[in-house]
Amino acid sequence: MDRGFLTELRRIVGDSGVLDDALELLTYECDALPHLRQTPAAVALPSSAAEVQAIVRLCARTGVPFVARGHGTGLSGGALPVAGGLVIALARLNRVLDVDIPNQRVTVEPGVTNLDITKQVAPFGYYYAPDPSSQQVCSIGGNVAENSGGAHCLKYGFTVHHVLGVEAVLPDGELVHLGGSLVDTPGPDLLGLVVGSEGTLAVVTSVTVRILRRPETVQTLLAAFDTIDAGGAVVSDIIREGIIPAAVEMMDSLAIRAAEAAVHPNFPDADTVLIVELDGPAAEVTALFDIVVRLCRRHGATTIDVAQTDEHRARIWRGRKAAFAAMGRVSPNYYVQDGVVPRTKLPEVLNRIRALEARSGLRIGNVFHAGDGNLHPLICYDERIPGQSDAAVEVAAEILSYCMDAGGSLTGEHGIGADKSQYMPTMFTPEDLALMQRVRAVFDPRGLCNPGKVFPTPRMCGEVPGPYRRHPVEAAGLAERM
Amino acid sequence: MSDIIQPASAGEVADALRRASDARQSIVIRGSGTKSDWGRTAGRVDAILDMRRMNRIIAHEQGDMTATLEAGATLREVNQALAVHGQTLPLDPPFADRATIGGLLATNDSGPLRHRHGTPRDLVIGIQLATTDGVVTKAGGQVVKNVAGYDLSKLVTGSFGSLAAIVSATFKLAPLPAASKTMRIGVADASALADVVRTMMASQLEPVAFEVAVPTPNDERRTTNGIEVLIRFASLPTVVDAQIAQATAALQSFTTSLEVLDGDAERACWDAHATQIWNAPGAIVRASWLPATLAAGLEREPFPSTGLGAGRRAEARLEASPTVELRGRATVGAGHMRIDGDTAAQAAAIMQLRASSVFGNIVIVRGSAELKALVDVWGSHGDRQPLFDALKRAFDPNGVLNAGRGPL
Repeated sequence: MDRGFLTELRRIVGDSGVLDDALELLTYECDALPHLRQTPAAVALPSSAAEVQAIVRLCARTGVPFVARGHGTGLSGGALPVAGGLVIALARLNRVLDVDIPNQRVTVEPGVTNLDITKQVAPFGYYYAPDPSSQQVCSIGGNVAENSGGAHCLKYGFTVHHVLGVEAVLPDGELVHLGGSLVDTPGPDLLGLVVGSEGTLAVVTSVTVRILRRPETVQTLLAAFDTIDAGGAVVSDIIREGIIPAAVEMMDSLAIRAAEAAVHPNFPDADTVLIVELDGPAAEVTALFDIVVRLCRRHGATTIDVAQTDEHRARIWRGRKAAFAAMGRVSPNYYVQDGVVPRTKLPEVLNRIRALEARSGLRIGNVFHAGDGNLHPLICYDERIPGQSDAAVEVAAEILSYCMDAGGSLTGEHGIGADKSQYMPTMFTPEDLALMQRVRAVFDPRGLCNPGKVFPTPRMCGEVPGPYRRHPVEAAGLAERM
Repeated sequence: MSDIIQPASAGEVADALRRASDARQSIVIRGSGTKSDWGRTAGRVDAILDMRRMNRIIAHEQGDMTATLEAGATLREVNQALAVHGQTLPLDPPFADRATIGGLLATNDSGPLRHRHGTPRDLVIGIQLATTDGVVTKAGGQVVKNVAGYDLSKLVTGSFGSLAAIVSATFKLAPLPAASKTMRIGVADASALADVVRTMMASQLEPVAFEVAVPTPNDERRTTNGIEVLIRFASLPTVVDAQIAQATAALQSFTTSLEVLDGDAERACWDAHATQIWNAPGAIVRASWLPATLAAGLEREPFPSTGLGAGRRAEARLEASPTVELRGRATVGAGHMRIDGDTAAQAAAIMQLRASSVFGNIVIVRGSAELKALVDVWGSHGDRQPLFDALKRAFDPNGVLNAGRGPL
């Protein structure tokens, strides 16, 4: 990287706001998808929107690509640096700017964590609804980039349904306000476009969200079944009854065992567990919960564990939310995917995954948001065994092909990022992708803002997608990955 | 005289747009035409792309609660078909009997059910578009949860047909509730309204609609004395009754009248609420507000003439035009205002609203050509204007779409 660039960068954010030491840069070479790695040329740590603006202007002037990063919890390599590029780490933009309880709005900087928003308003009886499993550590800016969901989005929707406005720096350094405290900004919904654009259209510098009143009552149960089909049938019947639960989650035996080993949620040893949570007015929850219990019984539940206390409910959720990390207890490495299928196709697709598990020789744990058909297959492998990491990638690709066959999506909440960009042509035609690229060029005509994400890029010959391995030309120091 | 083109397929829509673009001919996309007078005064219109032949329900996946609908299908036809299976596309916009799916998305129009279900942008999960280069593309998908690629459905919601033609769209649906009842409440003045809004927001009640109707003074159509509030609960019958009882206990002390409507009376109440503002003369604007400041806003210009500001009632009633009627979603903070009076008075009221610290996003949806010449329909797009200009150039380089009526 040009020395003049670093000098100017230090002028903007001070010496302590620039990292270019090889050791310091290690932290930033990947997000929570560790098999894709790339060391950036430098990291900038701005403390204000004005500094972000000045940094982006500098990048625009010098043609340096940049990648905005929150707390690095993304699961699709969305914050993977660009070789020779800059990472703009937004951790220091972590102020709560406004808490407006009477109007049920909160405005924060992007580095504030998801759960901290709820902590700000919980004393008043409110909460922020989207709840990705990483909510204790993930940043709201990252949530905006990925349009994060969570277990409760079946009833409450995704980030895009709860963000009212953002202030953002466009790739040319101009500041823009999309949405705001008031609803119905006239014209195309650019806010809705930017939410979920995976950091490829702008760098968000503040976020205004809607907060919700805590529901009057919450009821949660965990039911165990001998087959995935039985659990799936319960989910279908719940929906057929016209019930929209706050959450419907399923885990299979491998995921159950891993969770049990890690956080001891006291889950039964079963083929499948189903977690159903209803919330809302007491009269409604009570009436509908009885129906859910009846449906679990009708489909042969071997255990029905109804949470009797908040602590009991928290324990059930701890087991579910710890499932990813818990896979570390049963496997040296794992690779999580995020495909979506229509809810009614869940049993069919899960049975295909189980057949694939038997055929591939790799264990696959399944944790999924059953209410909206969002699968999270956890593919276990051991990178020390030659060929296994490649096999894991092949298995993941195969599972995504099942999702496409079923009319689903490549990703429900983790994003395409760098991880799945090569599969985009299986979901979209060249014309579809060209129109998206045209939108991208409106925001970022020079392609400096998080390049290489979302859209498939031509790869060097001989290069295989998936876990990072250095291209021979790279290894020889003859080329860099741009 | 404009040509009328009636495409029957996505390909025909795209061909029509490409031909118009190549020939630099102005083309306007139309469904039932319920909102064709919205937006700026139209310039020259060479062709109308009439979408009404494309009115199929392409798919209704009952188990997945999704439906894929062609743009020219009317909301009413769609909901009649879905209701057979106990499901609904939960939108109740103005002109709900004729409005089409494409028009609803293009204008992002909605009604009282927005309180629970949001607007079309919150319900759409996939879209098929035709662009002026003659290409048919899609974005989003058929599943309720999906973050793959850019969500171009958002880009066309609110675009008023200025960027591309909506060919079809996929929506998530809602179950039809088993029972519904509505509380019709009268409150005397803005301060009592503030009490009702605050109490409901602080409560854990979950209505499906929460409307406020502020009449003009001496409005003979008024059913209550002062401001009318409509709160609708829909769920299981016992749940509806339990919530009505809770709400009644919480709100009673702030009200001058309170009745509970169901069946035909409830339907009639909502029909009247939906149509009254449109059946009366005057300009109509969309408006937004912060829920906790609405009541205070009603005590300032241009509202004092409505006679609702406590203490100002006597002298305010003597004032001349304009008079402003407001109907909307109390706590979503969005609705319509109807502005009486001559053109100059209407324009003055709109400028007051745009300058106010309470109301914002004031867009004229119905107004005379004279009014639209005096005040811009859309208002300032602020720092978004360069993006709007660039989007328009990227999607409609020859500037043929929508005859200059839209926001870009």
